[in-house]
Amino acid sequence: MKTLTIKKGYAFNIAGPPAADVVERPSPPRIAVIPHHLRFAKPRLKVAVGDPVNCGSVLFEDKRNPEVKFLSPGGGDIIEINHGPRRTVTEIVIRLDEDEASETFESLSEADLERIHRDHLIQMIIRGGLWWLIRQLPFRDYAKPSSRPAFTLVTLGGKEPFRPLPEIYLNGKTDLFAFGLKLLEKLTGKAPLVCAPGDGDAIVRTLPEHITHVVNGKYPAHDPGTILYTLKTDPSHANAWYIDGQDLLLLAELVRTGKFPTRRIIAVGGNSTPLPGHYLSRLGVPFSYLVDPGKVSANTRYVSGGILTGYTGSPGGYMGLFETSLVLIPEGNTTEFLALFNPGLKKPTYSRSYLSRINPKPLIFDCNRHGGDRACIACMHCADVCPVNILPEFAYKAVLAGEVEEYLAHGLLDCVECGLCSYVCPSKIELTHTFMRAKADYVKAQDK
Amino acid sequence: MQKLIKNLFDAQRKHFRKGGKLERLYAFFESMETVFFAPARVTQLVPHIRDHLDVKRYMASVVFMLLPLLLFGMYNVGYQAYAAKQLNPGHFWIFWFGFKTVLPLVIVSYVVGFAWEILFSAIRGHEISEGLFVTAMLFPLTLPPTTPLWQAALGISFGVVIGKEVFGGTGRNFLNPALTGRAFLYFAYPSQMSGDAVWTALVNFKAGAVDVVSAATPLVVAAEAKVHGAVEQVLADAGYTFNTLFFGLYPASIGASSAFLCLIAAIVLMILGIASYRIILGDILGILVMGFIVNLTAGESSAAYLSLNPFYHLIIGGAAFGIVFMSTDPVSAPDLHISRWIYGFLVGVLTVVIRVFNPAYPEGIMLAILFMNVFAPLLDHMVISIRLRNRIPNV
Repeated sequence: MKTLTIKKGYAFNIAGPPAADVVERPSPPRIAVIPHHLRFAKPRLKVAVGDPVNCGSVLFEDKRNPEVKFLSPGGGDIIEINHGPRRTVTEIVIRLDEDEASETFESLSEADLERIHRDHLIQMIIRGGLWWLIRQLPFRDYAKPSSRPAFTLVTLGGKEPFRPLPEIYLNGKTDLFAFGLKLLEKLTGKAPLVCAPGDGDAIVRTLPEHITHVVNGKYPAHDPGTILYTLKTDPSHANAWYIDGQDLLLLAELVRTGKFPTRRIIAVGGNSTPLPGHYLSRLGVPFSYLVDPGKVSANTRYVSGGILTGYTGSPGGYMGLFETSLVLIPEGNTTEFLALFNPGLKKPTYSRSYLSRINPKPLIFDCNRHGGDRACIACMHCADVCPVNILPEFAYKAVLAGEVEEYLAHGLLDCVECGLCSYVCPSKIELTHTFMRAKADYVKAQDK
Repeated sequence: MQKLIKNLFDAQRKHFRKGGKLERLYAFFESMETVFFAPARVTQLVPHIRDHLDVKRYMASVVFMLLPLLLFGMYNVGYQAYAAKQLNPGHFWIFWFGFKTVLPLVIVSYVVGFAWEILFSAIRGHEISEGLFVTAMLFPLTLPPTTPLWQAALGISFGVVIGKEVFGGTGRNFLNPALTGRAFLYFAYPSQMSGDAVWTALVNFKAGAVDVVSAATPLVVAAEAKVHGAVEQVLADAGYTFNTLFFGLYPASIGASSAFLCLIAAIVLMILGIASYRIILGDILGILVMGFIVNLTAGESSAAYLSLNPFYHLIIGGAAFGIVFMSTDPVSAPDLHISRWIYGFLVGVLTVVIRVFNPAYPEGIMLAILFMNVFAPLLDHMVISIRLRNRIPNV
């Protein structure tokens, strides 16, 4: 077990952490798949409203690689297909039957796994509709099956408020996890690196034989991008695959049982949440089956997938494919009298300008922007906080100027998209969003 | 109270909205409203949460730390005025004289500065940047108390327009606007901005009385000292003991005399993370190192000024004020940590060099900072080039 230390980052002392026990939620009457959260995929629908689907039937494929299919995580009928701007598919809603019919896929025993050929295994996972769980750095698209990664990273837990605790979702599933690791080794030809957070002693104690790296540091020390940045020593290391611990369990379950897995443990937290906790539910569950909407106040924002990197949803929304956390925080859409002169004992900040820096109590974060748009005043908070040593201020200027070579030299592709630079910016410049868009444009230009 | 102010703003809002008669002044309205009410805007993009620190708070901290200097400056102006007449009417009247001498300068600075800022904000259609709050406070504090109001208006105009707005406003200026305005006045009106006679405002007992108090400033006294190794004694004989110079009760620019208050401000601003400690420490180090080197070159035949104790360079003239408030302007200083050290150090070195070796300019800190402002982007460019060479490329 090696120890990695990530020096930069930010520790969020946020109120409303999920309780550490698992509560099983009743099965919802409908679920949804949200294709547009797959940032690079171009979905081509294979179903229409009214079609019956089984758990494991094809919903859509990616126009870029038609063999990569996305399957229905439940059996029933399609009742809605919702579109966003430019006809992006935002939601495919499935009404679930009482007794859901499901497709069956090829399955492997542990012994079979030893013998099987890599390409066959890839085909199995692609047909089983879970290839998208394995993603590839630096762009975070799903992995190219033909590529051979320099590293394969399995990440357990994380510092983003709030991720499910690995000791909870791995509880009783250690065998499955070990099977998943073997499967990854087969796929990549290399033993995967299993990275656990340094303060998650519980998980380090439970799985000492599987964990290869303990990562110390603040948010986003858990992120595969941050870990890769610390590990890599050569340009060829830039291509790495990664998968979250809980996603690896889904993958292992698919291959071992031949059934499309749907169960997920979702962490629900934030100070506006009536009952923060870990909930056992399924892929694509509506928010209203994780929190009781009647007990949530009106000015609350639903964020699925982490308050820094996730997506805003309406109270009637659904959990996306990758999202394992739901955070409810105040919207913050009210004016505040004399905020400028408030010593700020309860105002979270990265800077040292508020007394909250010496307040050990968990603080309430809201979605107010806390300031108007200004030009950069070179406070350098963004560079101080960037986990991968980008100079966001200069990289941003290079992006705006369209200087591709320059922003590549600044390491834009190392960007973890953690959101910290935008978070700390006193001028409220949308650095993270700009970087994400620049990376996406770069991918598009390369694909042509 | 809160209701009252809210109603006031709500009632006036319609005039500033699109189609209202003061539509063009919306930026001013917005700027004033947000002093009292933090706006309700919420995030639309990732990340969903944002830090509570904004530029308004950032700049307000600096203005807040300038207030003690302003108040002390007012007292000092009154004190010097009455001392010149050998009078002591009591603390209140001393302060009152300084207050009514200095306040018009501050008001002119703010009104004229804001007028330009509003004009440019209206043309460019952006919100007013709070940098002006600091610039318009810094500028009058660097002036002699005898400055005519029209010169103050001209100086702040030059600083704001040429020092900042023509380059795109706060954040895009490469010179410190307050110092640009000060330097403009210095070169345009040398007789009102330098010399021995401008540093004491006069208590005007009989209307029309023309009177001038002439007292050599510490910088001039030190520069003209004749006795090698005893410059400190010459200063003390002229009334400038270490304590006087440190606490600042002597004729000088309105707000720049007290090294003590500057030191307190520096400590607070460094703790708050508003002023870069790298620049401040670099400045101090630069002055001390160069002051010491100059000491080494001093001999019996050279100017006695060379032998001045380096610590005196920190407390005489506007060095302390310049270090804490002018050189730390994050926009016109370089951005990277290493270049900030270099920049600070060179500002310090140049300050001593200009003071000691250039008899035409008694004070060096102003020109040293402006000079290094020009070189700041170059320092950054060099440091970034070295930094990027060490990155492992992705493609």
